[in-house]
Amino acid sequence: MERFDIAIIGTGPAGLEAAITAKVRNKTVLLLGNKGSSDKVSKAHTIQNYLGLPNVSGEDMSKAFLAHATSMGIEITEDKVNAVYSMGKYFAIQCHSGDYEASSVIVAAGMTTMKPFPGEMEFLGRGVSYCATCDAALYKGKTAIIIAYSAADEEEAEFLAERAQKVYYLPQYEYAGNLGGNIEVTCDVKPDSIAYTEGRAYLATDKDTYTADGIFILREQIAPSQLVPGLQMDGNHIGVDRSMATNIKGLFACGDITGAPYQYIKAAGEGNVAALSAVSYLNELKKATE
Amino acid sequence: MVKKINQDEFKTIDKSGVSVLDFNATWCGPCKMLAPVLEEVSEDFAGKANFYSIDTDDNPDLAREYGIMNIPAIVVLKDGEKVDMNVGFVPKEALSDFVSKNL
Repeated sequence: MERFDIAIIGTGPAGLEAAITAKVRNKTVLLLGNKGSSDKVSKAHTIQNYLGLPNVSGEDMSKAFLAHATSMGIEITEDKVNAVYSMGKYFAIQCHSGDYEASSVIVAAGMTTMKPFPGEMEFLGRGVSYCATCDAALYKGKTAIIIAYSAADEEEAEFLAERAQKVYYLPQYEYAGNLGGNIEVTCDVKPDSIAYTEGRAYLATDKDTYTADGIFILREQIAPSQLVPGLQMDGNHIGVDRSMATNIKGLFACGDITGAPYQYIKAAGEGNVAALSAVSYLNELKKATE
Repeated sequence: MVKKINQDEFKTIDKSGVSVLDFNATWCGPCKMLAPVLEEVSEDFAGKANFYSIDTDDNPDLAREYGIMNIPAIVVLKDGEKVDMNVGFVPKEALSDFVSKNL
């Protein structure tokens, strides 16, 4: 497998600037994200304080960013990142359509608005899980609740239902699937909180309280600490120092995901710093292995 | 070294001192990623702790005995008694810390 020098997650101003700086420093880059940059940029009405682009519309700004990146030969790989694993000397990046390897990683995935349910973090790994396919075998003859956020989760529910005795499926999206058998689908139920006592998980909702052996939460957005297991957070943001380094060696973060102010130029600036720090890290890594 | 064992073999192993059990499954992505990391950690703790890998699919009774509901799960035993558990992938440094604080 090709091992990239730097994998960058996110194609907003932070991710794109990081990719440009990495390219200037002659590093191989895997840029994962959206070919249209970021919705947060393209949907902005007017931006007045971006140096060199006065009173620019979000759409034009996004075009300018992408044109800059393209002119430098930077390609965007459209794939959804499920997890980044720190393997010691390299990182394994698990995506929806395949796996990648990189010596260093820059997380520029933007601010997630996701809030865990009360009880979720407390019982994570002890009855609450984010991966139905991982834990399916442990549910032989047992019951499970799935809180689902996209139609793609229906496949995970079916996989789990092959082993589990019963699956309660609570879609939080416009459900138009045809799950059946031992999967009980209930729409329009809003989860409130999670509790776990004496081997039983309880999900309180705006309607009934559901109980089962375990609860699976299949969100589209993954909290950074779930995206990168072992990552230290600072509240809702990734904890970084001035060099944009995180607590995991070789892994950097930049942009909104590191905290306020949520400004485009701040994000781009941090992207630049993160890339330069990744380059220094790569040099150290090279020296250590020589 | 991490030794792959089944639940019958588990009954017969010498559990004196510290044993580290890795509960996993072949199709579980994070488990696969954790395996080489645990292998490295086991080398660093050679002579201080014994490391075992257990496939939960083949050994459901043992998984049940230790209350494993999510994998990968790392269980630490002291003289056969469960003293600590960590669920999910962890980077090498954190895994080393987790093992050493239980020595």
